[in-house]
Amino acid sequence: MSNPLEDPDDDWWNSPVNRRESIWLGIAGAWSLGIFTWMAGFTQFGDQNPIGTTYDVDPDRYQERVGEYKEAAEETENGLVPPDSDVYVGAMRFNWDGLPTVLEAGREYDIHLGAYDVQHGFSVRPEENLNKQINLQVFPGSEWVIPMTFDEPGTYHVVCNEFCGQGHRTMHGRFTVVEG
Amino acid sequence: MSAVASLFRNDYDAEGFRTCSVTGLDIHRSVENYVKLFGLTAVIALAVGGSFAFSVAMTRWEFIGLLDPSSYYTHLSIHAWNLLIFWMVFMEIAVLYVGGPMVLGRALPLRRLATVGWGTMVAGAIGVNASIWLSEAPNEAPLLTAYVPLPVTPWFYGAAIVFLLGATIASLPFFATIWSETRDSRRTLPLVAFGAFVTGIIAVEAIFGGIAAFAYALAWRIDLIASVDPGIYRQLYWIVGHGTQQINLLAMITVWYFLTHVVGGAVVISEKVSRTAFILYLFFINLGAAHHLLVDPGMSAGWRIWNTSYAFYGAAFASMIHAFAIPAGIEAGRRRRGQGGGLFGWLTSAPWRNPVFVSTIFSIILFGFLGGITGVVMGQIQVNMTWHNTLATVGHFHATVALGTTLAFFGLVLFVIKTMFRRDFVSDTLASAIPYAYGAAMSVATLMLMYAGILYGVPRRTAEVVRNIPGSEFNLSAAIPIFMIFGIFALLAILSGVLFVVVSVGSLLFGDRLAPGDDGGMLPDGGLHADGGDPIHAVELRGTFTLCLIFLGVFVAVYVLNWYLLTQLWAIGA
Repeated sequence: MSNPLEDPDDDWWNSPVNRRESIWLGIAGAWSLGIFTWMAGFTQFGDQNPIGTTYDVDPDRYQERVGEYKEAAEETENGLVPPDSDVYVGAMRFNWDGLPTVLEAGREYDIHLGAYDVQHGFSVRPEENLNKQINLQVFPGSEWVIPMTFDEPGTYHVVCNEFCGQGHRTMHGRFTVVEG
Repeated sequence: MSAVASLFRNDYDAEGFRTCSVTGLDIHRSVENYVKLFGLTAVIALAVGGSFAFSVAMTRWEFIGLLDPSSYYTHLSIHAWNLLIFWMVFMEIAVLYVGGPMVLGRALPLRRLATVGWGTMVAGAIGVNASIWLSEAPNEAPLLTAYVPLPVTPWFYGAAIVFLLGATIASLPFFATIWSETRDSRRTLPLVAFGAFVTGIIAVEAIFGGIAAFAYALAWRIDLIASVDPGIYRQLYWIVGHGTQQINLLAMITVWYFLTHVVGGAVVISEKVSRTAFILYLFFINLGAAHHLLVDPGMSAGWRIWNTSYAFYGAAFASMIHAFAIPAGIEAGRRRRGQGGGLFGWLTSAPWRNPVFVSTIFSIILFGFLGGITGVVMGQIQVNMTWHNTLATVGHFHATVALGTTLAFFGLVLFVIKTMFRRDFVSDTLASAIPYAYGAAMSVATLMLMYAGILYGVPRRTAEVVRNIPGSEFNLSAAIPIFMIFGIFALLAILSGVLFVVVSVGSLLFGDRLAPGDDGGMLPDGGLHADGGDPIHAVELRGTFTLCLIFLGVFVAVYVLNWYLLTQLWAIGA
């Protein structure tokens, strides 16, 4: 008789384990290893990984870099057309500097994410399908370069999903993805 | 005053002990009074935090749109700190005192430290609340996280450190008990004491991380250091931010073993397996702090995968062990008494009108199905991209904390009212209704938060976004029906929380005093210890095994669904 309020018997370590509990241990262990393997493997064969290269950068320097990028980009009615495959986004209270931007579907871009002041959240979804959405954290002091390839043309909306101050909810930007 | 003083009165023998009519434990006055003190303080924090749940939920339900952004974030901060931290940690100190000196039948040592710890915690808690409420521009509300370099008043960081120091001091009498019980003997502690001990170690780790994080931010706010690194702060912060929730988890599981035994007649089916699961927690669960850093810049993929998986899912495996062991304990205990045939007779014949039992069972089921599964799924680094900082995350931690831990602690408070305050409930019907009403309403509200986050991408931590994003044509109005359901069930959940506070406080003030020896209806049929029957390892645990297979089926389904949604996205990442 084993109860959780009393010291167990002396040979508690050697007491046999119920057969069904042993089977469950096997199932739970296999599932644990299985989902680990899938997650680790997906970084190799999968297309959606929050993995990129990070550089330390002074926030003011990053703001200058976004400024240089905006100078070089072509201005159109729907936003900036990047000069090459690098796209810069600067998060600031309460605006996405560098957006709106026009991108081509099916082309891989290096999205540079950084902030000028406090932490922000880069949250993107296509207008037509809200359950396709991703979220990445943006820091002042870091420039995070993440490749992205938008395969469907359309309007993609960016909101901030990290609390950045009273005007947080007004922070909105846009990617317009056109046929390549 | 005399009403309050009478709460701390019981009949003790000359040495200050009495025998509990339910658990059979020898209880010393000192332990009992401090458990009451910390428990009552926790209920006050629950009432404060729960009041702010109303204004927070009624703002997110933009149909009502109660608060402007200027007050919303203040209310959200107070809601979070009182419920996620103060309600939980005051209860957890009480759990340590129950799991240590009370279970071991000892007086509470170092009582002065317990008092100092309690006073320091209260001062810290009041300080945190005051600093949030009185904060003025350019300082912002801290929310739970106070992420640098967003300016937050230095008083907040200072008060949070005071609270954490207080919790450390208050835990010392518990550690002293364990030390004096084990240092000269080769004694093996009872499972509940062992669980409490592991909880205490996890707690101290979490607290040290918290002190480091808040001291770092405080040093920056008072200009001792010139700059602050948001990545380093986040790493330090989440040692306590996630660590406190791991304390909740371990305290809750310890309470599960305790309450399923005393009100459900459960036994321990394998000391070896259950203790091994606690050891796995000890080594691996705090790695889970990385769950909050999965979509941060700067961390290598290897670091994130290793930590988020608690090293090959060592801690998730441990949780699945408890998920089997605890219901199996009930099944074995009841089958050996001949209570319940067939697959689920042991469960259907259980005391479903005892709110302590029902709170515990709902805590186990809802934590596992809603909180545990979503936690593991959203903790995979790729899936995390679709959950991070959406309302789905808020749904996850309402499933773990507001359903799982809070229901277990509801059960514990109601148990303490009967067995330590020795009061009858003012109304058995209302008391029995608490876990059903709260569990059902909060489950629906929680599911709606998850749907809003994962299916509509609604962000957390914002005063409005669904019906209107100021300055933009865009909005997330497709999620409006979800919020109509959320708002109604959030209100019902808050009303159920009010019912809990009313029944608890009402019973303390107006409940009849139980006669000595009266178990108050808490004991399982046939008493706490039933003799005879098969040895535990030979009992057929068919019912639990079936329930666990259903659980695994849901787990697999949720996992596959989330991965399916993820792979529908455009290509991201190297």
